[in-house]
Amino acid sequence: MRKYLEPISKNNPIIAQTLGVCPALAVTAQLKPAVVMAIAVTVVCAFSNFIISLIRNTIPPRIRIVVQLLVVSFFVILVDQFLQAFFYEMSKLLSVFVGLIITNCIIMGRLEAYALSHKPLPSLLDGLFNGLGYGLVLVTVGTVREILGQGTLWGCPVFGNGFYTLGYMNNGLMVLPPMALILVGCLIWIKNARQS
Amino acid sequence: MKFSNRYIFLYISVLIIIIAGVLAVVSLTLRPRHEENRKGEKAAQILSAAGYGTLKAADAVALFDSVAAPLTGSDSERYTILCADGDTGQVFHVHGKGLWGPIWGYVVLASDANTVKGVSFSHKSETPGLGAKIEEESFAKSFEGKKLHDMNGDFVSIALTAKGKGDGRDEANRVDAISGATITSKGVEKMLYDGLKEVVE
Repeated sequence: MRKYLEPISKNNPIIAQTLGVCPALAVTAQLKPAVVMAIAVTVVCAFSNFIISLIRNTIPPRIRIVVQLLVVSFFVILVDQFLQAFFYEMSKLLSVFVGLIITNCIIMGRLEAYALSHKPLPSLLDGLFNGLGYGLVLVTVGTVREILGQGTLWGCPVFGNGFYTLGYMNNGLMVLPPMALILVGCLIWIKNARQS
Repeated sequence: MKFSNRYIFLYISVLIIIIAGVLAVVSLTLRPRHEENRKGEKAAQILSAAGYGTLKAADAVALFDSVAAPLTGSDSERYTILCADGDTGQVFHVHGKGLWGPIWGYVVLASDANTVKGVSFSHKSETPGLGAKIEEESFAKSFEGKKLHDMNGDFVSIALTAKGKGDGRDEANRVDAISGATITSKGVEKMLYDGLKEVVE
């Protein structure tokens, strides 16, 4: 079990392996899209790991990347269609970044490194926890950015009006992607400092 | 294990057929919902331009059907609509380019085809906090009551100029541009000019 929990912090896809940083910058301006993106990546990662592991002995090695891509895109399109049908506002907010999960190197990385050589159930768990580890960073960054950038959390105001009359201002820089990069950098810093 | 070319070819073909089949079924099943969502979004946008405020997609469709009617005889989207204040207006669809991607919107004109009753804009990917502000109600509000023609009756559309600078335009023919979002503002200006020129003339 301990091994499965590694991607949550010690071997976190973003802050330890610095994979999948681009969508992490793009969807974390607010908490809500960050959470939805986290769920989407977790679902895709867990299930494609599971499926690839199920058929791992039948996949010809020469075309394994193609097969992996097919399976990943299958799940991503499913998630995208589902979001468009039932969470339309959210799918507009996430726009292309749902589709770009296909190219997220965390997922391909897990398929190559784990699912191709392990049994289905462990693979499912591995995918699940890698997705959760990724999601944890998205949610953390999303929370900080939304509070400091827009003064809200999950769309609800967190500061009273009195706060603003005292001269507090929302930080416009927080809304823009560069600040997410800096926040991810800070998380990496904290993690490295704790582990050294 | 060694795999023959034949096996590889068959394997990938079967996999593709299965995946494509399932996705096709999913897409067909969900299509009515997708269309409903898009319809609701459009209805909500037009109604917001007509002064009904922000509505949920489901309510918007019902209200839209009761107050708006499509104008026949034009290739672009036009509607007559009963505005929230009781006047009848005409809805025009406009579209153009922002800084990062397409921008579009709906303009509701009063029956004189000159006075703007309301607008609502939307965008694909403008910068949050800067260009994305064109979506906000406060920006849309600044268009209310503006005129498309100047005092001599010439079509000048509505310009977005820096706050307090009219560039020699009448106050009725300009609104404040969004500071820090010059290209998006210019995009809105051009979109209005191009989109409304033909319908007004």
